[in-house]
Amino acid sequence: MPMKIRINDHQLIQWIQGLITKFQVFYPLQDANSGVVHIQKATGSLNSDAILKPVSGVPKTSIKTFFMPQPEVIARFSIAAQDAEAFVLKEPGTALQTQVLLNIRPCDARSVALNSMPYAEDPYFQKMLKRTVIIGRPCDETCSTCFCELVGGSPHGTEGMDLVILKTEDGLALEVLTQKGADFLKQNPCAESAGLQPTPQQQGGQELPIVAREMQKKDLLALYNASFWPQIAEACINCGACTFLCPTCYCFDIQDEVAGTKGVRLRYWDSCMFPLFTLHASGHNPRGQKVQRVRNRFMHKFKYFPDRFGPVSCVGCGRCVKDCPVNIDIREVISLMQAV
Amino acid sequence: MDWEPKIVAFLCNWCSYAGADLAGVSRFQYPPNIRIIRVPCSGRVSANMILSALRSGADGVLVSGCHPGDCHYISGNLHARRRFSVLKNFLEFLGIEPGRLNFSWVSASEGEQFATVVREVTERVKALGPATRLVKRIEA
Amino acid sequence: MTVKHAELTQEIQRQAKELLASGEVAAFLGFSAGSLPMTTRPFVARTPQEAERLVWNSFCTVNLANYLPALLKSLEPPRSPKDPPPTGPLPKVGVLATGCWSRNIVVQIQENQVDRSRLVILGVPSRGMVDRKKVLAALQGKEVLEAQEDDHSLRLKGKWGETELSRWAVVRDNCQSCRHPNPVLFDRLLDAASERQAQAPFSQIEAIEAMSSDERWQWFQQAFASCIRCYACRNACPLCYCSTCFVDDNRPQWVGKALNAPDVLTFHILRAFHCAGRCTDCGACESVCPMGIKVRLLTQKLSKDILTLFGAEAGMDVSVPPPFTTYAPSDQNPFECDTCSSKGKKE
Repeated sequence: MPMKIRINDHQLIQWIQGLITKFQVFYPLQDANSGVVHIQKATGSLNSDAILKPVSGVPKTSIKTFFMPQPEVIARFSIAAQDAEAFVLKEPGTALQTQVLLNIRPCDARSVALNSMPYAEDPYFQKMLKRTVIIGRPCDETCSTCFCELVGGSPHGTEGMDLVILKTEDGLALEVLTQKGADFLKQNPCAESAGLQPTPQQQGGQELPIVAREMQKKDLLALYNASFWPQIAEACINCGACTFLCPTCYCFDIQDEVAGTKGVRLRYWDSCMFPLFTLHASGHNPRGQKVQRVRNRFMHKFKYFPDRFGPVSCVGCGRCVKDCPVNIDIREVISLMQAV
Repeated sequence: MDWEPKIVAFLCNWCSYAGADLAGVSRFQYPPNIRIIRVPCSGRVSANMILSALRSGADGVLVSGCHPGDCHYISGNLHARRRFSVLKNFLEFLGIEPGRLNFSWVSASEGEQFATVVREVTERVKALGPATRLVKRIEA
Repeated sequence: MTVKHAELTQEIQRQAKELLASGEVAAFLGFSAGSLPMTTRPFVARTPQEAERLVWNSFCTVNLANYLPALLKSLEPPRSPKDPPPTGPLPKVGVLATGCWSRNIVVQIQENQVDRSRLVILGVPSRGMVDRKKVLAALQGKEVLEAQEDDHSLRLKGKWGETELSRWAVVRDNCQSCRHPNPVLFDRLLDAASERQAQAPFSQIEAIEAMSSDERWQWFQQAFASCIRCYACRNACPLCYCSTCFVDDNRPQWVGKALNAPDVLTFHILRAFHCAGRCTDCGACESVCPMGIKVRLLTQKLSKDILTLFGAEAGMDVSVPPPFTTYAPSDQNPFECDTCSSKGKKE
């Protein structure tokens, strides 16, 4: 470790086919009818083209579902009167299989590293992280809505990946980036052509990008009281599209669901866009107005998160830009915030 | 098979519930599969309640009210009539089996008719088998 | 842009500027250019200068009526809940309205969500709005960097080259099946009435009705399998204005909040049903859905039945009561049991 091996197309496909027989493997595929890219489970009939030449275009949904499933059972219980262990919370009990995420873009991989910061002590997230191997793929093409470099990423970044498939002058190479990746490759070896010089360690994560450094220096109240928030918020319809598609939005709610004598405690995604997000039991709601919620989302991503953890909570994937129903463009908001 | 359907019955207080009561007092036999919920008027029954019953695992739903023109609240059942004819078509359009959702008018003096309605609805639902569509299950 | 749309954009800007400058309206609700090709964003102009940003084109897919109640309220003088309502005339709002949006305004007036006397409605007969998802599908997912629309075609450019698409082929489903492109309620009409009338407005519904019960269940499950419960459909809908949506009720809890198929499907069933008899098929729900779900097929089924059973259509006439607030003695009893007690009676 670090290790880099040369592989050809055939060897890569064989390796992936071997992985499919043992693990759950997911990779981005383009729907022929709609043109939309989704991350789907690999089946026996592998789409080799999509493995060798990754689909262009950011997948519709991010990979956070693999770390924060929606819903996630975090406990189960019984409420049967005669059950001696009624009302005692128990572990969910499902054994977790290793899952492999393949051909993951640098922005999505980086989002896992960013989400790990607030979730450093979250047992459920950490368990998911441990059982997931991310095999990344640098971007050949970027969309006009991509802005990873603005927020500290790069189309060739490898932060968050365990292994990465690279293009070399004469074919493909598989590079190991983490101990988890090394162990995985050892247990599931890939026929290799020859060893290669590993690429120098990525500098990402050591020096903060300009946006993060700028935002850390800005006065919080000056940003909070800026005059442009009402204008930004005016068109917002407070749906959850941006938050649910965003790789780095990680808020959740917990609810118990009961049917008959069985119950589960579920964790599911919540959105700061919803009015109920901050509704107190007393009836008071500190963010009862739309403009407060809209402001909060951008302040969290570009001020509160960098103040606390360092980088901004955004990977520049552009999903919110593409799919906001009313075209609220986060890039415009970042410029406005930078100008304060 | 020993499976018996569970049918949730929303009965309006003034007519259908009284009709059911009369059926009991008169000893008219009807299958014990229905679970009665008394409501003030069939017009009070909303789509939310019907869906809630289906979601909770009811194999069938019956909503019964006063005859049109005889509503204790004058027009409640007339609104219900419109609402439920649209809802029934809608749920069948979405693939809920015809026969899961049933509506009837039973007046307070129609004890025997109530028993007949329940018998019919029970047979109809039994023939459909247990409800699986829209049923919320907890895997715990 | 097309000649027609350029003219309309100029006219809208001119009239909005005039209304704002004279003080007749305190705010004008329309669209401004978006930051992406084939996109606009809802925009409130409050000065004649801001009104110069208003545009009109084939990409105005969000229903403006959705913003009216909140916008009107925001222009009222601030007061606490205990204060009496203000007396005297309140600030007015200018708004653009196509056929379906004007019908939504009618429904909002009938449901006491907006005050007609506070609106200045500029009616615009619609040529149909383009569905970006159809364009993406026609291009097999290739990204559009530049889009120009002509009267009957869209010229699209990207890194991959250029192509031209038939405009009508990528117009939204609801616009293609529209029977009311002309505004029904307006103060000023900005263009000649359109004569377009869809011939088979419910053909998609009929196709599903022709399936068996099992097939329909399969269709319904698959159609909504990708729903992420973002509620964009609900929030974009001008009819969904309940201060507490049934989804957020917890005593009783009608529907779960997580991604469980029975919960997702129940949410859509109930939301559509709550719009029954009120929906004007504006298509906003389908346009805003990030996952491309054909949400309006549910409300269209309801509209079809309500038209067939009661001869009623939402929002056509402010003096006609909405179908579910009224009843008729001739309403059918389509749900009688075989030996139902009323059979044989005079009813």
